Amino acid sequence: MYDKIMALYPSLTEKDFLTVITLQNDSDGKGDYIAKWEHPTLPRPTDEELA
Amino acid sequence: MASIITATTTSGLTQSADNSGVLQLASGTGNLVTVPSVTGTAMVSGNMPAFSAYLNSAQTLSSNTFTKITLNAEEYDTANAFDSTTNYRFTPQVAGYYQFNMQISIATTTCNIIPTLYKNGTAYIRSSNLQTTSESVSGSWMVYLNGSTDYVELWASISTGQGLSTGISNSSRTNLQGFLVRTA
Repeated sequence: MYDKIMALYPSLTEKDFLTVITLQNDSDGKGDYIAKWEHPTLPRPTDEELA
Repeated sequence: MASIITATTTSGLTQSADNSGVLQLASGTGNLVTVPSVTGTAMVSGNMPAFSAYLNSAQTLSSNTFTKITLNAEEYDTANAFDSTTNYRFTPQVAGYYQFNMQISIATTTCNIIPTLYKNGTAYIRSSNLQTTSESVSGSWMVYLNGSTDYVELWASISTGQGLSTGISNSSRTNLQGFLVRTA
């Protein structure tokens, strides 16, 4: 998930993932997901872009 | 002359309550022990939950992704309140204020580590964000838990995806400890 997002938006920084974007994994076998996307300019990636 | 009240073998020793709600053990010169009036359960050593759980199987985290740590082994768990098989969470049945100590240890690559205590599925407190070389980052906090439904879990985010350190023999371990400081 993280690598795909960075491929889409190379300008994102580690700080972005601690503030306006939260990726989570509940360790339930369902994998990583976007729990929060509040970036002021970049749109949330679509499921197709993350597939 | 001292008076001795002897408990029976079938019903123990019962002190009938008056309106004060206070129980005192006294000597000739003053009170030795006072159990104050409380709402709820007075804390005694026998009902103070404490646990220490650690990661004992391989777990790999993705980069910059907050991930629940699957603490699947216990060093001790006095109240059987830590679930180390399914949800990897601490759900005590005594309401009060709990101290938690958490530590995340990475296995190989230098990166930033963020141990995070989650309460009821939401990030409650993040610890230090330090760059370490195959070592640990620790943190601690005190949290109120209601003694029925509230629970806490150990989560973490690391800036470079990799495996975490496992086991209990190594000082660089991945674990969570907690204990009751005082009842509500």
